[in-house]
Amino acid sequence: MFPELNSILNSTPDSFKSSDFILVSDRRADASFLIHHHLSFYLRGLDHNVSGQGVSLAQAREKGQLVFLEGLKNSIGVILQEDTSQETQPLSYLRTPGAGLEGLFRFVERSVRQSGDGDAGESWGPPVLLIDDLSVLLSLGVSVGAILDFTLYCQATVCSELQGNMVILVRCEEEDADDDEEGSNLLRRGLVHQCNLALHVEGLPTGYCRDIHGQMEVWWRQGEETIYNQRKIFHFKVHDKGASFFARGTSSAVL
Amino acid sequence: MLLLSCVLQGAEAGGFILIQDTVKCTGRGLLKCFINAALKRGEDVHVLGFESPETEVCAGLDRSCVQKLHFHKGFPDPLGWTRRSSFTVERFASQHITQLIKDTQQAKASVLVVDSLSLVLRHHDPLVFCQTLQELRKGGVIKTIIGLLHSDLHQQGIVGIVCYLASTVISVAPANNERHSVAKTTRRTKSGKVMQEEEYFSVCKDATLSVQAKPRQPGHVQKERDVSEADPTSNLTFNLRLSEEERKAKEKVALPFVFSQEKKSALLKPTPGSGRIVYEPDDNDDFDEEDPDDDLDV
Repeated sequence: MFPELNSILNSTPDSFKSSDFILVSDRRADASFLIHHHLSFYLRGLDHNVSGQGVSLAQAREKGQLVFLEGLKNSIGVILQEDTSQETQPLSYLRTPGAGLEGLFRFVERSVRQSGDGDAGESWGPPVLLIDDLSVLLSLGVSVGAILDFTLYCQATVCSELQGNMVILVRCEEEDADDDEEGSNLLRRGLVHQCNLALHVEGLPTGYCRDIHGQMEVWWRQGEETIYNQRKIFHFKVHDKGASFFARGTSSAVL
Repeated sequence: MLLLSCVLQGAEAGGFILIQDTVKCTGRGLLKCFINAALKRGEDVHVLGFESPETEVCAGLDRSCVQKLHFHKGFPDPLGWTRRSSFTVERFASQHITQLIKDTQQAKASVLVVDSLSLVLRHHDPLVFCQTLQELRKGGVIKTIIGLLHSDLHQQGIVGIVCYLASTVISVAPANNERHSVAKTTRRTKSGKVMQEEEYFSVCKDATLSVQAKPRQPGHVQKERDVSEADPTSNLTFNLRLSEEERKAKEKVALPFVFSQEKKSALLKPTPGSGRIVYEPDDNDDFDEEDPDDDLDV
């Protein structure tokens, strides 16, 4: 979890906006550090007993706080038709080309509704859905329309109904004039229309730099009843213990 | 009166009003203003809400006329996966919509709002979609159709088709300052006249619209050209003009590289005393008397 990012987004694990759909995207850069931030952010929010730097994912998984679907690992089994059990229902779209993601949504719905009831009867509160990363579905042959339908349903269930949050990662390719028909950029545009907050990570337009790893655009889209449409760009540097964010031109290398 | 305000007040009743937006600027706020304006006029408004929840669509609307708003729940189940919707995208056809409206209240011409047309187009063939829109317009049960379209999610051709069907197209875009947005409105009246305007607008919390005219760019004002141009050869210390004789002599001069008649005849008749070529073939030379170009058909 990155404290500087928390202050930029004006949220803490103790008080954050619920019913939010946050879109994380990247182009020629790696935005997965933002997914890690959100994962530890929300786990910290659930369990105030977490101390020190780290959040133990294994422990969270055991307690039932964290439910993991290993999409890529399980998809091989589905494609080779080895395993036709209940567990692989979410990935049934791989067998029927042109099918929607209704099965995958049913898995998500089951998981988020169950998460309210923990082992010892404790309720973890509103659910959080993290998807890393959605563009893999494109390479598996799912159409952009089907993915947008899936995310709309996830948003309806997780955010609107259960007042939880959703964070989705999408990887984009280079902007291309021919790219308008299908592809990651079209998917990203569709998701930006749906989301409340969009974080987009790209390399610096001027090229590679040792002290600044890239730029992140924060786009506040809309709240429950208000429409913001405010964009700001920050520079960031990722290091071992986390990442630091700063306004453009204020890197310690420059000042 | 500003064009966008005109369209909002429903000055020309009926038709198909299309609100086009992109990721850069959402058109949902403007859509809400249209809903509010129709409600205030006492019209029955039917909303096919596929993309946004009812709470979001109704937030800020005038409380006194909200009962005239009929929200047909597509969202949160627009495709019927969880069987919780009263109207799915699949049922977007003229007979279903007409029946839906007739079932709700007495047959008075209503306003149909679709949020959004993009989701409908994702699940319907464009041709069938266009047919449905035309049937709805001519059906008599619906007076006005207002639809929101995310133009950056479709091919240009599809967007073009939908725009062609509309009687008014409003494209929204961000303005330089964050408080306003720009709306480019194109309205086609029944008489065939086309009006186009670009205006600033902002949506207030009570779903009312504030519209301002966009000032014209200063650089576009055209200066009037001088009718009489000044004579550049006057008022000089040297003479640039030609007298009549000088002009005639100038015209007679044969330019060096122009192929005139005299030069042609001079070239074709070789003058005597010019050089001759004497060729004595060697033993090894293959001297052929014939003209090699004889067989050319020139």
